[in-house]
Amino acid sequence: MEHRWGMVIDEDRCTGCEACVAACHAENNIATVGDDQAARGRAMHWIRVERYYEGNFPDIKVKFRPVPCQECSDAPCEPVCPTYASYHNPEGLNAQIYNRCIGTRYCANACPYLVRFFNFLNPVWDKPLNLQFNPDVSVRSVGIMEKCTFCIQRIKTAEIKAQAEKRPLKEGEFNPACVQSCPAEAMVFGDLNDPKSKVSRLSRSSRATKLLPELGTHPKVTYLKRDTWDNGQNA
Amino acid sequence: MDRRNFLKISAVGSATVALDACGKPEHQLIHFIPEEELIPGVAEWKPGVCTQCPAGCGLHVRVMEGEAEVTRHGQLGLLNMGLAKKLEGNPGHPVNQGRLCAWGQAGLQVTYNPDRIRFPLKRSGPRGSGEYQEITWEEAIKELVSHLSSLKSPGKPLPLAFLTGPLYDHRSVLIEHFLEALGASPAVRYEFFEQTVLCRANELSFGHHQLPTFDLANANYVISFGADFLGTWNSPVAQNLGYGTMRQGRPGHRGKFVQVEARMSQTGANADEWVYAKPGTEGLLALGVAHVILSEKLRIAEAAGEAGACIDGWSKGLPDHTPEAVAKMTGVEAGRIQRLAREMAAHTPAVAIIGGAPLAQTNGLANALAANALNGLLGSVEKPGGIFFTPQPPMPGLTDPKKGLSVRALAEGIRSGSAPVEALLIYNANPVFGSPTAWRLQEALGKVSFIASFGSFVDETSILSDLILPDHSYLESWVDNIPQSGTTEAVASLAPPAMSPLHHTRSTPDVLLDVAHQLGGNVGKALPWKTYQDMLQAAFDSLRSHPGSVSAKASDDFWSEVQEKGGWWSAEITKSPARRGAKSSAAPAKVAEPQFDGSPQEYPFNFLPYASLQFGDGRHANLPWMQEMPDTISTAMWSVWLEINPETADRLGIKQGDLLEVASQHGKLQAPALIAPGIAPDVVAMPVGQGHESYGRYASQRGANPIKILAAQTEPETGALAWASTRVKITRVGKKGQLILFAGGLREWPREYRHR
Amino acid sequence: MDKTPEQINQDLLRPLYHASWRFYVALVILGSLVAAAFFAWGYQIYNGIGVSGLDRPVFWAFYITNFVFWIGISHAGTLISAILRVSNATWRRPVTRCAEAITVFALSISAMFPLIHLGRPWLFFWLIPYPSERGIWPQFRSPLLWDFFAINTYLIGSVTFLLLPSFPDFALIRDRASGWRKKVYGIASLGWRGTPKQWHRLEMAMRIMAVAIIPVAVSVHTIVSWDFAMAPVPGWHSTIFGPYFVAGAIFSGIAALIIAMAMLRKLLHLEEYLKPIHFDYLGKLLLVMSLLWFYFVFAERLTTWYGNFPSEMAVFWVTQSGRFSKLFWTMIFCNFIIPVPILAIKNLRTKIGWTVVASIPVIVGMWLERFLIIVPSLSHKYLPYNFGTYRPSWVEITITIGTFAGMALLYLLFSRVFPIISIWELKLGLQKKVEAAPALASQEPATEQP
Repeated sequence: MEHRWGMVIDEDRCTGCEACVAACHAENNIATVGDDQAARGRAMHWIRVERYYEGNFPDIKVKFRPVPCQECSDAPCEPVCPTYASYHNPEGLNAQIYNRCIGTRYCANACPYLVRFFNFLNPVWDKPLNLQFNPDVSVRSVGIMEKCTFCIQRIKTAEIKAQAEKRPLKEGEFNPACVQSCPAEAMVFGDLNDPKSKVSRLSRSSRATKLLPELGTHPKVTYLKRDTWDNGQNA
Repeated sequence: MDRRNFLKISAVGSATVALDACGKPEHQLIHFIPEEELIPGVAEWKPGVCTQCPAGCGLHVRVMEGEAEVTRHGQLGLLNMGLAKKLEGNPGHPVNQGRLCAWGQAGLQVTYNPDRIRFPLKRSGPRGSGEYQEITWEEAIKELVSHLSSLKSPGKPLPLAFLTGPLYDHRSVLIEHFLEALGASPAVRYEFFEQTVLCRANELSFGHHQLPTFDLANANYVISFGADFLGTWNSPVAQNLGYGTMRQGRPGHRGKFVQVEARMSQTGANADEWVYAKPGTEGLLALGVAHVILSEKLRIAEAAGEAGACIDGWSKGLPDHTPEAVAKMTGVEAGRIQRLAREMAAHTPAVAIIGGAPLAQTNGLANALAANALNGLLGSVEKPGGIFFTPQPPMPGLTDPKKGLSVRALAEGIRSGSAPVEALLIYNANPVFGSPTAWRLQEALGKVSFIASFGSFVDETSILSDLILPDHSYLESWVDNIPQSGTTEAVASLAPPAMSPLHHTRSTPDVLLDVAHQLGGNVGKALPWKTYQDMLQAAFDSLRSHPGSVSAKASDDFWSEVQEKGGWWSAEITKSPARRGAKSSAAPAKVAEPQFDGSPQEYPFNFLPYASLQFGDGRHANLPWMQEMPDTISTAMWSVWLEINPETADRLGIKQGDLLEVASQHGKLQAPALIAPGIAPDVVAMPVGQGHESYGRYASQRGANPIKILAAQTEPETGALAWASTRVKITRVGKKGQLILFAGGLREWPREYRHR
Repeated sequence: MDKTPEQINQDLLRPLYHASWRFYVALVILGSLVAAAFFAWGYQIYNGIGVSGLDRPVFWAFYITNFVFWIGISHAGTLISAILRVSNATWRRPVTRCAEAITVFALSISAMFPLIHLGRPWLFFWLIPYPSERGIWPQFRSPLLWDFFAINTYLIGSVTFLLLPSFPDFALIRDRASGWRKKVYGIASLGWRGTPKQWHRLEMAMRIMAVAIIPVAVSVHTIVSWDFAMAPVPGWHSTIFGPYFVAGAIFSGIAALIIAMAMLRKLLHLEEYLKPIHFDYLGKLLLVMSLLWFYFVFAERLTTWYGNFPSEMAVFWVTQSGRFSKLFWTMIFCNFIIPVPILAIKNLRTKIGWTVVASIPVIVGMWLERFLIIVPSLSHKYLPYNFGTYRPSWVEITITIGTFAGMALLYLLFSRVFPIISIWELKLGLQKKVEAAPALASQEPATEQP
């Protein structure tokens, strides 16, 4: 059976440290746009940690929520791309084919989670920062849309290796960069088509929820709501 | 200009013109013969040790072949070499167990930073101008040796100062031997967010002059007084790991986390219960809680042992710290104090953490002792779910570093002439940035005739140096680290270089060894190793006879396996002997009310600088990933800001982004306002890290540095800077500042209560 | 006194032969503005979309506003001309070619914007369905592809609709001219000799085109509206968009037509051909469209407000009373509050000046309306952490101004190449008038007072 990659993010474990953000930049050759461009709203953080306040001082609460591409099963970004640059791959991922993108930016408008990022200008790396590039990931140029891919390069590498060694993929054999780095172990990645995988089990948790479920996008990222402490009575 | 130079320049000039005329300059670069055999496209994973913060996490470095523009033998060319591409945590390392924080991930940008110093430099312009000329290593070392050997002061310590950060490794040992053999004073160890107060408190309470380790994974109740333990404090990755397990790693058990602070930090945002306490009163709150536990007979006073005895009135049940009295002093309601106390006592293992601003007050030590006593009372000292002290690996060379002068004392000594310094060596420290103007450090450094720096970057301190002998980046070096916290195992991390040096740098320990040999005499004898690698091999060999993570027995095999694994650790060694220094006095401490610099009338706000998630104490400001990473709470990028309570802002007519002038009695700065719902109305906070005057293209001339306006107030016993004890006043400048935010909205349901 | 055919010829062909100094001044000014716009576009192609003010989350702004705005303008032309032909409204005769010209130029201008807004415009041809070496067709599910087909169909249709009735006039010029004009118009007239067979064919073709172009025009703007409505963006995903946009397009188109006609009347001295009655009738149409537009806006906003979906309300309030409220209320003012009273009062509506005064705000208001559909919604999508802002850069402003200048420039040049009023249709009308009931006399250029 095909794999169907999914993720579970536990908001009760996430501490908002943003190790995932830094790891993603390092793994995926994401451009640093600089202060001027960041001020114009062009910073590219494929995964971001959203932060929301509730209440007022001193009864103030803050919520953290890491948001990567939700890899929707019914992705609104896919039907609107005129060149099939936003494409649903057989493993359920919403793949972005950089070479086909002509930059209409319709997909970014259609995405309710705003996880898509556009190269408004040609990215620049002051040498020798370019030596850090991950050779497994294309470097995008101006006019191209990009987004989180669940580290498809790692998926492909692992699949090719498993195939060469004539064995199935093992659970936990590889992880996207964000999942691997997370110090609080808040993120879990795996095959949703395997009911015994950790990601499948956790997505059936009582705390499980999805982002913007009413839109019918059927995202493959499941969030586990922050839990409560009621004088020690809870799981 | 003489004829030779003229010819040189015109030759280069015409060659350049010719090259340009031929097309892209890269095509004209020659290819050097590769020094390593690598298959393109195939990754090799090498062990590493992260030095981005003192936690010392273990790394796995992904090395792949790539083409780098390097200079070899004075010629620019292209070299195919192994390049570090990605850093991950070492899954076997006891501190981080395969995980890595944002600073760790950004470490690649230290190695590949365009502003790295590539050659030894000699000052060619006035001091502080940043004008240097490239020299050879022979010249550089010769110059350093000549300056050092010319220092003489019979009967007194050599007028040599070695300024460095806190190092817990064999570099520290090397430096100690070096200085001792020269007859100089011990190294001046400085970092802004120093741990002196906490270590001293732990020494008094528990007999360990050391940072604490917390077994959060087994805790059921965690109360943290001001410690940003999930962000920037102590050993963040290890603490995050334990925290995650505490929350959802034990089915059926979820620990409670309470954070006590005056400004909601990134750590505090995760608390089940967030408690606002007036700045500097956290120790009083801890005693209030302890009082309730004692008065309701939930524990007995003796249970706290030595830690309890450190507190005045402990054995009597802390009569001065009734909930009502403490409520008045701290601002936390009496009922809440009682409830917290009962919860804590009923849900053990319970552990108290203290760090950050509460310790950076005039009563900081007392606050720490109070929290330690609470831990003692709750029975969490060296019990599962509680507070531990990382054992030392049995390496005989590892002695406690001798206590050197503080930076403040160094500066005073130089200025007053009581402790003159003729030569200053700087390694891994930037006190000119990281010290208050009130210390007048820069003035003191002006009186030092020779300054040499080993750093990789021209920062505010190293720009004053006359000679720069640039170190490798840590991925290009032999690195070891002895974690002081973050694990209950004894650990000695080790890694060989993951890649060849990009530039003409040299490992500083190797340089010091070279200098030592050239100086000869005592110094040469004290440091017999040819290279740092040899020193490490000798040091690690002593671990061979102890049971641990490395199974090989033969010396060479052991050495190979230690490197492969990224270090040696042992769970068998669970305790270190108590490391006691001199006790100041036998008298138990009273937790006094905090003293602030500046009157409340003239300076109405408590000023709270805090370690920023992006830059720490400023050291990571030159990494573009960190500049662009949005700070989790504010979402600001490439900016500095002053956090101000929304009601206070309304009252003062301040809107988001308004440029404010923040003035203490000792200086002023400007920063844009950030409306922060999580900060107390009479407190303003500012992250540390921006405001560099020189630190490369990404960090320089950006924002403001809150450290500069701090009062030189100290915690009296340790002399540590009470950096949270300054008061400030605020005025609007009248225009907008540069506040670049990644986020738009502040709340998920902005109009939720609009009509009710 | 009725004009003789020869007088009509002279009046309507004069602009093709004579141009005042004012023409050349206008040519230079408009030409410079258009050149500046092209420069800005070239600068953008070279450096990337980043030179504009676009950002995340406002990925579409000025360029798409202009795109929709100009397509809207293009509606009145052909639609009015076609509807008036089909309904046989005789007062249409002096109006039709002006209107058709508006359509062709507005549509051409608007068709440039999908190119201008592309991130990699040099690859625009991947939108064309041809068997490519990449082994892939464009995605037909994408509304942008529907745009491609709809706009091209409409463009071809409108050009045809403009050219068809021009052949007799080209032939007229050919017959009267000499030198290069004779040659050029000779080719242009495609051998028109005015035989009964040719007239019959022309009439058939006109009748078919008039009927066919109406659904094409309706579909074009509906499809353009679906660029928005098909995306799950708060404020966009509404079923009302199709009819709303078509109504808005006709509304803005009529206003543009009134302004264009008034200017032509003044500059080319066509006072005796474009009479107050024409403006009166167009004014009535404009009034109806204004009321219809307001009805759509009101219905949509009331439903949104009552439904109280949080994501939609975020957009609602930001236009009603928040950051975009100044623009929003200006739009209401321009599209409804100014035009309706003016156009409802017969005394005002029958004066050409007043209908122009009522029309100019509509152009402003309708441009704002397109902007306010796009930018507030994109700035406030579902997750408030990602709310953003937008500010146009000089590139977008230059290009926008350039399009208005370009429109005027094209129209200016058109008036020197085509007779701006369809001569043969006018003469036909006069002939029919003689045969028709006296009641129709007032619609023709004759002795009636303006």
